[in-house]
Amino acid sequence: MVISIDTNFARLLVRLADTELILAQRLCEMCSRGPFLEEDIALSNLALDLLGRAEELYKLLAETEGKELAADDYVYRRNEREFFCYKLVEQPNTDFAWVIARQYLHDVYAKSVFTRLLQSDNSKLAGLSEKVLKEIRYSLERSKDWMLRLGIGTEESNHRLQFAIDRLFRFVPELFAFDTVDLQYIADTEGLIEEWKMEVSDTLRTANIQEPELKSTHLRDSREGFHTEYLGHLLSEMQFLPRAYPDATW
Amino acid sequence: METGDNIWEVFIQKKPGIAFKHAGSVHGYDKKMAVQNARDAYCRRGEGRELWVVPSASIVSVPMEDADAYFDPQEDKIYRHPTFYQIPAEVKNI
Repeated sequence: MVISIDTNFARLLVRLADTELILAQRLCEMCSRGPFLEEDIALSNLALDLLGRAEELYKLLAETEGKELAADDYVYRRNEREFFCYKLVEQPNTDFAWVIARQYLHDVYAKSVFTRLLQSDNSKLAGLSEKVLKEIRYSLERSKDWMLRLGIGTEESNHRLQFAIDRLFRFVPELFAFDTVDLQYIADTEGLIEEWKMEVSDTLRTANIQEPELKSTHLRDSREGFHTEYLGHLLSEMQFLPRAYPDATW
Repeated sequence: METGDNIWEVFIQKKPGIAFKHAGSVHGYDKKMAVQNARDAYCRRGEGRELWVVPSASIVSVPMEDADAYFDPQEDKIYRHPTFYQIPAEVKNI
């Protein structure tokens, strides 16, 4: 069965929801693998925030599409090519610097996007954005603090963060490749790109990290359902139980 | 800013006016990390609206072996306890 997404508003919602869900799943993988207990708990807290956010977005998506599908159906019964998360968030937890760099780049972007969605004509999405922005304010503060600690910490931590940023920057141009769906619902995308670049450049400079050039890549866009090799593996683990035991209940 | 892996004691205030209560301790390399770790470890279920962290090293305590000398003599003198007063109903949090 293929779950189609039929309206532009639903396409916007599924991109937001998938992005938050997949990042949540990546952070869940860090549970019991954090560098120390407190950070482990903090990462799991963050994963739960992202998961809750995704759940609300899927509920709204299900309501908008009105196909008698639940949030769980969207999460567990779609294949890789039917997911629309940005490639940035599906990148693996290579080391702690990757976890932090990925989170920071996401948080800055998500803050700008949800700030614009406060003005959404859909009152539920506007209300949800307000709640999400509170969470993002905290998450961004943490991820930014860690960017600085790693960047100006030791030679080793600086190298690791530089490596993570160099690699993850490949997936940044996709964030800004807005299509007609994005442009319909997200106001002032030019301003969004400016905001993002200013904030990130400033942090990288302070963290003593060289800012990589933003180059266009030959990767096809996640808005069309194209992904890196990592998403399929992530989904196979995340979806295993309901796929193997379709009658299982919570 | 202090650096190095330090232990911090965490105190939470449930609502304004109430005394801060000791909740536990966390690791943290600096003040900001300590307060963030305290939030993530102790304040995710509506435990409070205010949070303090204090470096454990700054807390002065009575040595265990002195506990008898410090605390025992008060126990048998009931007149030390203000139990003979009526507390007005309007007074909360005593």
